[in-house]
Amino acid sequence: MNGRVKNLVPRYLLLVFFSFMVLLPISGLFLGAFKTDTQLIQGPFSLPQTWNLDNFRQAWFTGRFNIFFKNSVIVSIAVVAASVFLSVLTGYAFGLLPLPGKRWLFPLILLGYMVPFEAVIIPLYHFLDLLGLRDSYWALILPQIGLSVSFGTLWMTSFFENAPRDLVDAAAMDGCSRWQTLWRVLWPLAKPSVTTLVVLIFMWTWNEFLLALVLIQDETLRTLPVGLAFFQGKYTANIPLLAAGALIVALPTVIVYILFQRFFIRGMLGGAVKG
Amino acid sequence: MRANQAYPGENKWKGWLYLLPGLLIYLAFTFYPILETVRTSFYEWNGFSAQRTWVGLQNYQMVFSDAQFTSAFLHNLVFILFYCVLPVFIGLLLASVLSRRALPGMTFFRTVLFLPQVISMVVVGVIWRWIFNPQFGPLNILLNALGLSGLTRAWLGDFALALPAVGSIGTWVQYGFCMILFLAGMQHISEEYYEASSLDGANAFQQFVHITIPGLRAEIGVALVTTIIAALRVFDLVYVTTRGGPGNATLVVGFLIYRSAFQQNRIGYASAIATLLMLMILAVSLLIRRLQTGNEEESA
Amino acid sequence: MKRIRFSVAILLVFAFILGACQGGSKPTETQAPAEETTLVVWDQFYRDVESQVMDTLNAEFEAAHPGVKIERVVKTLDDLKVTLKLALTEANGPDVAQVNQGRSDMGAMVEAGLLLPLDSYLTKYNWSSVFSTSVASRNSFTPDGKTFGQGNLYGVSPTAEVVGVYYNKTMFKKYGWEVPQTFEEFDALLAKIKESGETPISFGSLDGWNAIHEFSAIQHLLVSLDYINNLTYGVNNVSFKTDENIKAARILQEWAKSGYFSEGYAGIGYDDSNALFKAGQGAMTITGSWLAGELINDTDQEFGFFLMPPFEGKTALAIGGVGIPFAIRSTTTKADLAAEYLNWMISPRAAELWAKAGMLPAMALPEGAEIETDNLFGDTLKAWDTINKGNAVGHYIDWATPTFYDTLVAELQKLLGSISTPEDFVSAVQKDYEAYLNK
Repeated sequence: MNGRVKNLVPRYLLLVFFSFMVLLPISGLFLGAFKTDTQLIQGPFSLPQTWNLDNFRQAWFTGRFNIFFKNSVIVSIAVVAASVFLSVLTGYAFGLLPLPGKRWLFPLILLGYMVPFEAVIIPLYHFLDLLGLRDSYWALILPQIGLSVSFGTLWMTSFFENAPRDLVDAAAMDGCSRWQTLWRVLWPLAKPSVTTLVVLIFMWTWNEFLLALVLIQDETLRTLPVGLAFFQGKYTANIPLLAAGALIVALPTVIVYILFQRFFIRGMLGGAVKG
Repeated sequence: MRANQAYPGENKWKGWLYLLPGLLIYLAFTFYPILETVRTSFYEWNGFSAQRTWVGLQNYQMVFSDAQFTSAFLHNLVFILFYCVLPVFIGLLLASVLSRRALPGMTFFRTVLFLPQVISMVVVGVIWRWIFNPQFGPLNILLNALGLSGLTRAWLGDFALALPAVGSIGTWVQYGFCMILFLAGMQHISEEYYEASSLDGANAFQQFVHITIPGLRAEIGVALVTTIIAALRVFDLVYVTTRGGPGNATLVVGFLIYRSAFQQNRIGYASAIATLLMLMILAVSLLIRRLQTGNEEESA
Repeated sequence: MKRIRFSVAILLVFAFILGACQGGSKPTETQAPAEETTLVVWDQFYRDVESQVMDTLNAEFEAAHPGVKIERVVKTLDDLKVTLKLALTEANGPDVAQVNQGRSDMGAMVEAGLLLPLDSYLTKYNWSSVFSTSVASRNSFTPDGKTFGQGNLYGVSPTAEVVGVYYNKTMFKKYGWEVPQTFEEFDALLAKIKESGETPISFGSLDGWNAIHEFSAIQHLLVSLDYINNLTYGVNNVSFKTDENIKAARILQEWAKSGYFSEGYAGIGYDDSNALFKAGQGAMTITGSWLAGELINDTDQEFGFFLMPPFEGKTALAIGGVGIPFAIRSTTTKADLAAEYLNWMISPRAAELWAKAGMLPAMALPEGAEIETDNLFGDTLKAWDTINKGNAVGHYIDWATPTFYDTLVAELQKLLGSISTPEDFVSAVQKDYEAYLNK
């Protein structure tokens, strides 16, 4: 018993230390968002004199975060829905279906997961322009589906490759078509993996910056991270206002993560990541 | 990767039907721009005029004779230590502490530790720039409070420390990710191995080395690929914190691409660097995958 | 049957996306009545007060021109730099846009034929009575975009800027310090402030660009107007490797070594150093007139502004110039209306509104405009007036070559950190300059 307790103390100490390292910076940002410029300098973790929401109000209305917020929601939902659906199909194809050309197709798709995005932005701009899609939600949605499908394929392939073959074969023996096998037999098993994928893609889409900056000129179509960049102009910016804006940008992903983290971790456990 | 057999009477192209919708969008909006970037790397072009000049390999010659590229690349290599080696190490350490025996409050710790992954890098940069602020940043305030005033620095502006300072932000972001990955993997290692080795008199450290680490081979592989790629393509963090300064002390390849393309209108040159970066990232991931599958066959 | 279900599922997903996409209304798509003309204007006046000035000016323009609608797009300068070049190649791009001066922006756009030469409008509206030729040359390029400072006019600037010294009046009063009249006095004052335990100059070099102002402000005290013109416009083969530049670099390095800058300045950003200054930490700070508005509200300190004082017996230049100009897209079908808009942007009414917002107008203020000048804004106005009338308006030297900005920032950070000597500094910068001239 004594040994057990002795064992626990260093474990908790380590955990508390590393968690503290994570929480400290974030709480500093949180407190900063309620302060004024002058108060911020007085001390990082001093509580704000009043919990006023002025900075948030200013970011939301004057900084037009209300519009950007709506845009971010639309783009993220569209990208997540389409890429998760498409990734389930491609992952199924790679993992379980007969697929001539698979050996060269897989690296081809994987390439998209590795490419640095600032490198493809200019060709992308001209291509979208040619299609008449620049300066629309499509300009943000389509490239990000392409990119997410790349990772999603990797992710879902590893799930389907490790799915119980006996079950798949048994379903086929019972006369299930491939389509039915996917949705009736495999889909319930895939849910944790898919949930993880949803959270990941949502996070990446929500936080995407460069695409939205370059491909969107119409202010009413901008997303949140670009809105945040508005506060970092060439000359002066207001640091607490920046903190408030940053908090608005960060909050939705944090909330989604906290809500889904149970599924998220289960997804990772069940997904049995095999690179 | 093994080939999947078609059932008797099934069209062997069936997989393509499922592949096609995703593949087409990918080809049009990700793969085609990649090719276009490679093509552009053989031209001199400012990015907006109608005229492009074919210059062959000249952009590549310029890249290799550019001292800035060399130092930027070296900085990326240093970032591998911070983005990859340290987080994997810390991740393993934490995962070994967390799993196996359920500790009360574990969910809370797991949730907290992963948090930095969830937040936009622009936000992360904003936070850390403030932490490293020499005058009112918490880091120097803490050092002063501990009576260690001699250790206070102008962190992000210090020629020797700026690179490790930015790198450590990468560590902060990545270690929770590695931990969760390893935690997932450890659930698959049978408890029997540990029990058996306990009977053989192995201590916790020996168990960790001989059972846990081999059991996490696949997860460590994923962590390596993901974090090394992150280290090679780092951009936003440098953009928000130091913009490559002081001097060129934190200049990285990703930022060099941005600077050449968007501040100096040298699209051809930027495309050449981007192409090289893509090739490097590709090489690293293929190498690690190869090593990993090699291992797997060995142990199978 | 299964096939059908499959396609239906895909259709549903796409229909969903499509629906979502149509949810966002785009003002450009709403059909305007035939007689209504829309002028698309991109500007970078995104900060609160500035933005209000633009909205007022646009509303008054619309009122004076029935049937004309201004569609305003606001951008930050960084954002503008990345997106504008590409947008100007579009048939439906902005009709009017703010284009940053210098080679990598205006020069490159002129070279690509994206901007409309304004010379005919210059005559038509008699703009030469609004701004001097020295101001006009800052917005001028030869039609091939190669030579800066001459050739056609491509833009008109509504605001002006001057780099000088802000000082904390409250602190000066407390210690009994006087505003220095010569550079020698200024240098002596720095030592005196240091002795008192206060920070002489609030400064942060982390962002880099303001280090250029710090160096160049000293440089402007030493060089002639011809030299700084030649250097910036890249004509008459001047060199950066001069005794004056070495001297300026040495002074800057000495200041850094003597601890005249904020503690840990290398790790402090521009905004942060300003926040510190505003909070009363630092006796002075060297930066541009654009900061004045920020220093008036929310502070218990009182601030003033003076030009960098000249060396004993010398005349001094000051970094300054006109703000980012408005230009017209070469392919617009509404060139005359766009020019009318430009003319409005530099009208006396615009000058009055900018001044009321605490920003220096590039144009003369109208007679009888009620603007309070017994304050910080008045100080900057006086400073601008002095250098404008005294023909002492220098330049932002980072316009000189497309890579000059990046080179200067990196080399100045090395100089400040004593990684390099003043001689190394000018040599490294000269290398960049030479490479450009020889191209």
